[in-house]
Amino acid sequence: MSTKHSKAAEAYLQDDAVVTRHDQTFFGVRQKRDRMAQALPEWEDLREAASQIKKHTETHLADYLEQFEQQTVKNGVHVHWANDAEEYNRIVFDILSSHQVKKVVKSKSMLTEECHLNGHLEAKGIEVIETDLGERILQMMKLAPSHIVMPALHVHREDIGDTFRRLIPDFDEIAKSYKPQDPHDPNDPTFLTYVARMHLRQQFAKADAGMTGANFGIAETGDVVVCTNEGNADMSTSIPKLHIVSMGIEKLIPNYQAMGVFQRFVARSGTGQETTVYTSHFRGPRPGGEMHIVLVDNGRSEIIGNPEHWQTLKCMRCGACMNTCPVYRRSAGYSYTYFIPGPIGVNLGMLRDPHKYYDNVSGCSLCCSCDNVCPVKVDLSTQVYRWRQELDSLGHADPMKKMMSNGMSFLFNHPALYTTALRLSHVVNWMPGALVNMKLNPWAYGHEMMKFPKKSFHQIWKEEKL
Amino acid sequence: MSAKEEILARLRKNTRETYDMPDLSQLNPITYVDPVAEFILKTTTTAGAKLIEKKPSETLNDIVQGIAKTLPSSGQGGEDFLIASNLPGIEAQLNPDTVAEAQELMAADLGVIEGRIGVAENACIWIPQQMKEKSVCFAAQQLVIVLSRDAIVNNMHEAYARIAASTEFFSQYKFGTFISGPSKTADIEGALVYGAQAARAVTVVLV
Amino acid sequence: MRIGLFIPCYVDALYPEVGVSTLRLLRSLGLDVDYPERQTCCGQPMGNAGFEKKAVLLAKKFDELFSPYDYVVAPSASCAAYVRCFHPHLLGSHEAQKQCATSEKTMDLVEFLHDVIKVKSLHARFPHKVSIHNSCHGVRELGLSSPSERNIPKFNKIIDLLKLVDGIEIVEPERPDECCGFGGMFAVEEQAVSARMGLEKVRRHIATGAEYVTGPDSSCLMHMQGVAQKQGLDIKFIHVAQILSAGL
Repeated sequence: MSTKHSKAAEAYLQDDAVVTRHDQTFFGVRQKRDRMAQALPEWEDLREAASQIKKHTETHLADYLEQFEQQTVKNGVHVHWANDAEEYNRIVFDILSSHQVKKVVKSKSMLTEECHLNGHLEAKGIEVIETDLGERILQMMKLAPSHIVMPALHVHREDIGDTFRRLIPDFDEIAKSYKPQDPHDPNDPTFLTYVARMHLRQQFAKADAGMTGANFGIAETGDVVVCTNEGNADMSTSIPKLHIVSMGIEKLIPNYQAMGVFQRFVARSGTGQETTVYTSHFRGPRPGGEMHIVLVDNGRSEIIGNPEHWQTLKCMRCGACMNTCPVYRRSAGYSYTYFIPGPIGVNLGMLRDPHKYYDNVSGCSLCCSCDNVCPVKVDLSTQVYRWRQELDSLGHADPMKKMMSNGMSFLFNHPALYTTALRLSHVVNWMPGALVNMKLNPWAYGHEMMKFPKKSFHQIWKEEKL
Repeated sequence: MSAKEEILARLRKNTRETYDMPDLSQLNPITYVDPVAEFILKTTTTAGAKLIEKKPSETLNDIVQGIAKTLPSSGQGGEDFLIASNLPGIEAQLNPDTVAEAQELMAADLGVIEGRIGVAENACIWIPQQMKEKSVCFAAQQLVIVLSRDAIVNNMHEAYARIAASTEFFSQYKFGTFISGPSKTADIEGALVYGAQAARAVTVVLV
Repeated sequence: MRIGLFIPCYVDALYPEVGVSTLRLLRSLGLDVDYPERQTCCGQPMGNAGFEKKAVLLAKKFDELFSPYDYVVAPSASCAAYVRCFHPHLLGSHEAQKQCATSEKTMDLVEFLHDVIKVKSLHARFPHKVSIHNSCHGVRELGLSSPSERNIPKFNKIIDLLKLVDGIEIVEPERPDECCGFGGMFAVEEQAVSARMGLEKVRRHIATGAEYVTGPDSSCLMHMQGVAQKQGLDIKFIHVAQILSAGL
């Protein structure tokens, strides 16, 4: 009985030190989030408000999208609509090529990863530079992200330093300008961040266009709000003159009053800070510049109609659920087959393509911790439970689990058989195969076998006339 | 049908039950006995910025030139230390209103800009765009942000209420940002580093 | 007040002493307790594995079997939670308008003693140091203690009851309500992750210096005990029912 997730996790778990570090790093972020939650007496009221605001907005989304477009067009922004990923990629390429763009700098956007934009642009000869430090590192090392907010935490400084030395042409010149000279550790994170800073500043200066995602879109005013700690979204959009925003349609909120609720959550939930360093409101193009927004559906208008799973549209992509998930912390991003891991990733993957991503559904002990950290109260664990019920009709139920469930159902529905089985159960104590053979008895992988008592409670009740 | 019409039609068709907007006036967000003190505390601790309280006897320019003297030139403008600002009274070598290209402000060692709202709960400062090239807010190596003590509010709800009610912000330039301290990252092994892509250090001058 | 005792399948088979302790404890409080013998299982193992349809008949039988009682009490947080939170859905989807009356009155032993009987004293003595295992479904589905993720006033019903026991010393491990990794079929399908979670949880309990790990759910205890024994780790496991009835 295994899935791609369980097999990948088992391989990952062979290196004890790596797992311990990964688990402690992300639980540390969970603890920082806890401190933020404890510091605000209104925390639980805010969560309820955020959940209700999103439920309202998602169920009136068409109206709010029309209002948003109206406002933003009034402000001089070009608005495009994309039914799906292919249409989105085409629209972005058309905008870039019609402006003779050769180099794009972009800040983090899960949507662009969902649509595989970078590969599409690169195949057509446009250079794409990720400017979020973690994403840039992964781009240079040709690695996939392992987390949606802190995507490169699993990468060691030595490998980063090595990559920078290989791929940044003026590494040595940059290193010479760093003070203090000769850092004790040639791969000290402060030094490497400085190198990346100098390298990326060259990219900002030479780029023809800047692309950002959108944390929120405010319908009432047409603002696009982008939150970063590094300021890379702002560097990307204050130097090159062309700005393209990629926004999933579910990112809208009604007004500034609602924005107060959400700005307070983004960093507290995601990284355990009171705020991101930068919370930027883009309402229109810069003087002499041009601003485009591409509104992307890519399945969201179907998800709203799914009675059990539509609440995933509330998700802010803060990452709190994966930080608390005990399974994510011990299996890490690469064990999941969808690019987003953890509780929200299990659910979003199934909504994206249940036949491709069902392996992740095993990666959950149904502990419900995620439900309790989610700032918008997505019922994550209940949704995983519901996906499990659907696996059989999708043709992906594990045959062993099915057989065991059938067996249990049969036994439990026949009390006389059940009590007889109990009478015989202690025979298991004497079965050597059960103790040793993990293939027959997967319990033996991590456990000593239990000893079955001579009498079950049923027997004791009957015989000892309790 | 255009993609827009298709998307809107699908949304309307597929939405089953609807939910009302909650009454946000019922929220009781955090307030402070002394919001200015809280702002100063958060600015100098969690945000990682410096804070100077301007004395009546000082001019803003005195303070800015004083800060400039303590900082090394990045060497990007030859050997001279370059200040970028369009604030009245500030001796600056670069003016974000008159530079030909935004790139030029990347040579600035120090940008001096004005904040219009300060937020005690998180040390955010609302900086509406008040110059032609906003790159001064991000590309300068260091930032000085000037903020009036009277502009400090308790929390983000109060800040956003002020912004929503303003007819001034967004009127000339369609951008505004909250900045809380210098740019940071912890993307390499979770180690906190100040000075990622934007300002490496921030000094807030409270007037 | 008539109480129907529900002894979950694996408690029945593996930890009957927990059932006996529960029965003795409830009777010692002067309660009228019956054990309808035709009971077997609440259906949770099938449900969590993705086959809740296989549990519908069981839920129906459970509902009928326990209908004569005012309360159904089980020494198992996760089973009580499954009946309360999932049986209404299981029955509702197959029998329109059916009120699942039994699920509303089904309670875990701890919450029953704490909230309904409001026990204020016990004749129990257990002079040992115990580390509390706050089982997930107890915390987050039944509200036996305040979840560490939330900003709500702190409480712990398990500890409240155990404080009534003479001689006991109570501690909680670091990460007091992190999952132990049992999760039913999760333990066999994601065996490596489950074992790692179990091992870490056991180590955290051991780090408190406690002699015993105790909690409201024998499934968690069973998992941790299996992991501890395989790793040769020295700590004992006991259900709260056994401590609360120690000395009877």
